[in-house]
Amino acid sequence: MSAILEQLSAVVIEGDETKSPGLVQKALDEGFTAKEILDNALVVGMTEVGIRFKRGDMFVPEVLMSAEAMQTGLGILRPLLAASGAEMLGKIVMGTVKGDLHDIGKNLVGMLCEGSGFDVIDLGFNVAPEKFIEAVKQHKPNIIGMSALLTTTMRSMGHTIKALEEAGLRAGVKIMVGGAPVDREFADRVGADGYGSNAPAGADLAKQLMGAA
Amino acid sequence: MASPQKLPVVILACEIMKSMLPDLLPDGLVDQLTYFDYGLHRVPNKLTWTLQEAIDSIETPSLIVLGYGLCGNGLNGIRARQHTLLIPRVDDCIAILLGSHKKYMQEFEAVPGTYYLSKGWLESGSHPLKEYHEYVEKYGEKDAAWVMDQQYRHYDRLALVAHTPADIDKYRAQAEAVARYCEQWGMRYEEILGSDVYVRRMIEVIAALEKADDDFVIVPPGGEIRQEQFIR
Repeated sequence: MSAILEQLSAVVIEGDETKSPGLVQKALDEGFTAKEILDNALVVGMTEVGIRFKRGDMFVPEVLMSAEAMQTGLGILRPLLAASGAEMLGKIVMGTVKGDLHDIGKNLVGMLCEGSGFDVIDLGFNVAPEKFIEAVKQHKPNIIGMSALLTTTMRSMGHTIKALEEAGLRAGVKIMVGGAPVDREFADRVGADGYGSNAPAGADLAKQLMGAA
Repeated sequence: MASPQKLPVVILACEIMKSMLPDLLPDGLVDQLTYFDYGLHRVPNKLTWTLQEAIDSIETPSLIVLGYGLCGNGLNGIRARQHTLLIPRVDDCIAILLGSHKKYMQEFEAVPGTYYLSKGWLESGSHPLKEYHEYVEKYGEKDAAWVMDQQYRHYDRLALVAHTPADIDKYRAQAEAVARYCEQWGMRYEEILGSDVYVRRMIEVIAALEKADDDFVIVPPGGEIRQEQFIR
């Protein structure tokens, strides 16, 4: 990997949002494409952040600052990515489930999915099953992403999936779930199509669900 | 197998429980208490490893009481080994502080965005104001304020929970200081009279495991704590 991309991924890990736009510009000037910079620097940095967070070596503030550093870099790349004419991978409707107002993780997954080429529709937090249903009818997404931070609220994922089944909408979408208390076993039990153990894994999963990874 | 009641008792608890356990436990059991850092719940994997290591270090088959709930899934997957495990069947310590799972669910339904404060959280744990000061030291004022805003902007209420009116009086000033800081997010301050009944019942169950009802999870030797045991 080139020095500039390595530097940029290090800046994401450090969470220095003042440096990332300059480095993104420099990488563009050196001839890297927006997609290369995204995949080989910003996402690489964020993936490392995800691993360190899960291990307990990084904490929420640092993750937030890393996300901000990625966001400011992505701000420069976004118009270039759009102009490159690459087809959208698909559409994702996502939200933090009913009763839960923690949206840091969900926002991160949203940003990474957007970076991966998805059209992301964010329903926000405390999203009731009816709101997911309404959004599926309105936006016809390929994927629904649900997030929860608490064990008290994660069961709402199961309620939402059931409500989608009852509304006859389940078969038409893939469902991915994530959040600190969510694991594979839980995802299987509630009938989700996949589970992401951290934000970058969530974005990878979205690509897999679209058969694009 | 020896009857579980004859087993020696060991209690491994979150330090948040320091505010309740020593006052209520019979003398013989207070000596068997080990506390762990309250912050472990934020990294559920670490909570799992830490408690597993503590359990594995106990050689004599024992009744090990975990002063925890499911705690962000941190207790999922813990193996009993040669021991018997007893755990309150709750999502986290808030249900224990309030006295029941039902009461917790009622509060949760009423105001999902509640940050709970208690004697234990004020003395041994953390709260938004303390967190802010720690962040200022680590990241500087500007970043600290931004991070706090990201974490708490959607909360609606700060609630002080204590199981006696005297304790509510005692901790009011501290709680109100936190409440003033949290006003920036429109959080209102409330006081909730909790109960020590959950801990009292747990002590009864320790003495006679057959008294355990569906408010407790018991894992026999060779078993494993599973998330679904806590889901009601």
